[in-house]
Amino acid sequence: MDFAIGWDFGRALMWIVLLPLFGALINGISGRFASRGLVRAVAIGSVAGAFALALACFVKLVALSGHGEDGGEGTTKLVHIVYDWFSVRVGDAVIPVRVALLMDHLSGVMTLVITGIGLLIHLYASSYMEEDPSYARFFTYLNLFTASMLILVLASNMPLMFVGWEGVGLCSYLLIGFWWENPTYAAAGKKAFVVNRIGDFGVLLGMFLLVATTASFEFAEINANASSLVVPLKLDSTHSIAFLTTATAACLCLFLGCAGKSAQLPLYVWLPDAMAGPTPVSALIHAATMVTAGVYLVVRLSGVFLMAPGAMAFIAIVGATTALFAASIALVQNQMKKILAYSTVSQLGFMFAGVGVGAFAGGFFHVFTHAFFKACLFLGAGSVMHAVHAHGDADLRELGGMKKFMPTTRWTFLLSCLAIAGFPLTSGFFSKDDILLGAAFIGTGPWAEYPSWVGWLVFVMLAAAAFMTAFYMFRLYFLAFEGEFRGGAAHAHAEHAHGDQTHDSHTDDSHGQDAHGHAAPHESPLAMTLPLIVLAVFAAVVGFLGLPHWLGLPNVWEHWLEPSIARLPLAEGAHVSAAIGATAMGVGTLVGLGGIGLAYTWYMKEDGATPARIEASMPRFHALLMDKWRVDEFYAFLFIRPMAWLARFAANFDKLFIDGLLTKLTSSLALAAGWLVTRFQTGALPAYGAVMVVGLAGIVWWFVVPHPSLEHAVRGTQVKLQAASGLGYEYRFDTNDDGDFETSWSGEREVEGTYEPRDFRAGAFVLTTLRPGQRDREVVLHEGEFFAFEASDLGPDWVREGTPGPNGAPAPAPNDTVPAIAWRIPVRDIFLPFAPRGGAAHETTREEAETIAERIASGASAIEIARARATNDEERNRLGALPEEDGVDGHVKLADGTEVHLEHGARVAIAESPRGVHVVALDPGEALLRPNGARVRVRGADVTEPETRLRPGEVAQVGNALVRVAAVVHATVQVRNAFGYTVDDTIEVVVQPERPASEARAEAGGGAQ
Amino acid sequence: MDFGLGHFIGLASVLFGIGAIGFLVRRNVLIQLMSIELMLNAVNLTLVAINRWMPGNHAGQVFAFFNIAIAAAEAAVGLAIVISVYRLKKSVQSDAVDLLKH
Repeated sequence: MDFAIGWDFGRALMWIVLLPLFGALINGISGRFASRGLVRAVAIGSVAGAFALALACFVKLVALSGHGEDGGEGTTKLVHIVYDWFSVRVGDAVIPVRVALLMDHLSGVMTLVITGIGLLIHLYASSYMEEDPSYARFFTYLNLFTASMLILVLASNMPLMFVGWEGVGLCSYLLIGFWWENPTYAAAGKKAFVVNRIGDFGVLLGMFLLVATTASFEFAEINANASSLVVPLKLDSTHSIAFLTTATAACLCLFLGCAGKSAQLPLYVWLPDAMAGPTPVSALIHAATMVTAGVYLVVRLSGVFLMAPGAMAFIAIVGATTALFAASIALVQNQMKKILAYSTVSQLGFMFAGVGVGAFAGGFFHVFTHAFFKACLFLGAGSVMHAVHAHGDADLRELGGMKKFMPTTRWTFLLSCLAIAGFPLTSGFFSKDDILLGAAFIGTGPWAEYPSWVGWLVFVMLAAAAFMTAFYMFRLYFLAFEGEFRGGAAHAHAEHAHGDQTHDSHTDDSHGQDAHGHAAPHESPLAMTLPLIVLAVFAAVVGFLGLPHWLGLPNVWEHWLEPSIARLPLAEGAHVSAAIGATAMGVGTLVGLGGIGLAYTWYMKEDGATPARIEASMPRFHALLMDKWRVDEFYAFLFIRPMAWLARFAANFDKLFIDGLLTKLTSSLALAAGWLVTRFQTGALPAYGAVMVVGLAGIVWWFVVPHPSLEHAVRGTQVKLQAASGLGYEYRFDTNDDGDFETSWSGEREVEGTYEPRDFRAGAFVLTTLRPGQRDREVVLHEGEFFAFEASDLGPDWVREGTPGPNGAPAPAPNDTVPAIAWRIPVRDIFLPFAPRGGAAHETTREEAETIAERIASGASAIEIARARATNDEERNRLGALPEEDGVDGHVKLADGTEVHLEHGARVAIAESPRGVHVVALDPGEALLRPNGARVRVRGADVTEPETRLRPGEVAQVGNALVRVAAVVHATVQVRNAFGYTVDDTIEVVVQPERPASEARAEAGGGAQ
Repeated sequence: MDFGLGHFIGLASVLFGIGAIGFLVRRNVLIQLMSIELMLNAVNLTLVAINRWMPGNHAGQVFAFFNIAIAAAEAAVGLAIVISVYRLKKSVQSDAVDLLKH
């Protein structure tokens, strides 16, 4: 902020916005309790204050730019930073977003238009809405709209502008649906809101694209860095679209938003329906200010748009098409406001065509002049409707001759009609001429990147549209004001012929109990005619601000806007020649006067005979125009119907699946559970008692019988044992299960210790395979259990070549299927030395083994077998001396080398040992490994012997699997509780003894060879 | 003959068992109330006996007094209920009263 400007003007900018905002707050909160006079005073006063401040700021701006001494170029704007709002991180840059207001030459004009015309329309509405029951609500919305529009215009950055952009959209919605009791009006409001959402999406996308490249939200900085936007559009860090620059993409996105807000093809459909709102709203929001926001945005970002000539050409063509299209609809309509609505769409098309061909000043000039004459036209239409107590809209077929009843309205309306038709020397004449001139000029190709044919195409389309404009406006004027009054008692009940959606329901309230149509039409009160006069005068004279340059006349307008608008990159020496200027002006004058003349001939002299004949000659085309080209029907078919179908589908899905299945199912589950437990509620006292006693017994059992639940944790051979805790428990441990308790009774429930080989009770090994996702497996070999190796455990090359299998079986092939090498090691293979209780090992043939198995199966005890197999007397005597109960164990070795262990009283079958790798557990913890043809490495060398012994902790490599010999120990805990009950719990723990270090070294040495 | 804690606990268990079985098998509410009294007193006996053999403090004895007081109140309330039920049902059989069911 340049302090030299003085803070008071900065503050003034803030108050321009705040005054209408406070007006809205006061009327919104307390207006319903206040008198109409008070509401009116607040509403009009706040806007009048804003207008006065805006005027003061504008005068200051003029003074600043008039003097070169205090900075010249640098002081063409007033800035006020209200506060820092938030900041955004884009890449490494932190971009601040400020609530900052900026009045430069562009926004200064807009601010004056908004507050000035806004003030006039507030004044008009204070009389027009006099009888409406929601007087305060109306002015709340209107003030809120003014505040939002001022934020939109005065914002110095895009996010704040978007706040205003959305604010005006909201107010537009609220005011279109102001008489929400009528469902069609409410629907019109919704339509405007939804269509604008589509556009707003484009504005957001455009804003993001701009900020991502220029790293700023400020309009000034974006325009200054606009040349950095001419790069291929990036999709992500590596991909980009070669034929589309960021500038073009951003401009097209922004234009989508402008098309929504400013009612361009294809999003214009909401604006004609928006006439459902009260007429002052149509004049202020839907003609003079809000709908021009799109044009304002394009002019504001002119620097960016200049970087995208393709997008500009597109905008120009869309604008010209809209102008022509909407004008063609307006030709045949019969409602005043409807004609004016399509006329507005058409004129907005003119403005976009203007900025699209690079005539930013010209397009914006049309915004300015259009604000006056279109506001005046709408207010004039409102005045007519007020006069004839028309419902919603005034039908031309029931008007006529109004000039007799309301001279002021007639003269102002005529003046505005002349302006919009482009009658020479009126404001519309000059602004339209500027646009036509711009189109013709760009057509001569002064800008190399811009496709010059677009200029001429747009020129022709605009000329045609201007001709139609002049024609339909004067058709409207002649039918409404000239001739004889056709209205009568019937008009009040006239239904609108073509499904018109804009029904005003209020205007008959304006004169209370007046009987409809009986009183003759009359002129409106001063509060309504005064704005008409002011606007008409301005509509007549503001054109002189923009006199054509090529005639050597001073173009104040263009000169004034110069600091705010980017300059076209014109070729050297390109200038507007007199020929081009004369062509544009000549064509403009010709089509304007021609349209007026045709309307005069057809409607004044022939009294509508020719149009009726044309209408009769092509009724279908006429109906198509009456139905506005049936675009709404087309949209309904293309978008709304599929959407409605989708919505119905979603609703039914919700009803059937979510509500039906999920909700009903869960609730019925709960019901079923409830039903089940209520069965126990028999009401019979003894049943309750019985259940209670059973539960009590359970609790007593829990406390009386101890629960040891022994658990363990192992690290190597070090084991921690832990029993469950309980009330009054005492423990003693037999850690190696030898029958002697190592600890005496105590409350300590944890012991820790190391196991030695003599504690080992059974064999085990740890298998590590290379199979992915397979963790180490502990395999405990118990009696009566089997272990199976699988081929995938061993890896692909587990077979040692040239080694026959056991029992003379052929050597296994490397690709044997899994079942063939699933080694089942029967527990009876587990070899325990006979030593503890005597006995001897004997060589046994296979036939013998089968006999033994038979005898075991028939119930003979091991000792009997041992006796039967004793080979010498000494042994026979020793065995014979042993008592049966001693449980003499024995083992036999089969001819094929299989050891069979026999326990006292054992009942076993001898399984034939399958071929393949055997891991046999030995006592104490040693293992016997029989490769049986597999490739086995132990201690760094291949095993060639039929079997090899492994000590605890030793590792053998079988195929690709590692077998590490482990051992099983048993641990027992005894728990005693206070009642003296004692309970045992024995668990089995696999310990992994370490290998002696010397051997590990030896293996490492061997492996290295 | 020496009496130890075990004897008292045994007697209490027997009393409690009789009470429990009586409560379960009889249908006359008055008898059931008596059975409850038996169970209560079995507990009281345990309390004082254990307190006698493990005389750390007098918690057991005090507890027994509380039990006696509460048992008196319980009996009063219980009998009042029985009278009400009798007025309603003209019966003191417990299976006559089964209104509080599903």
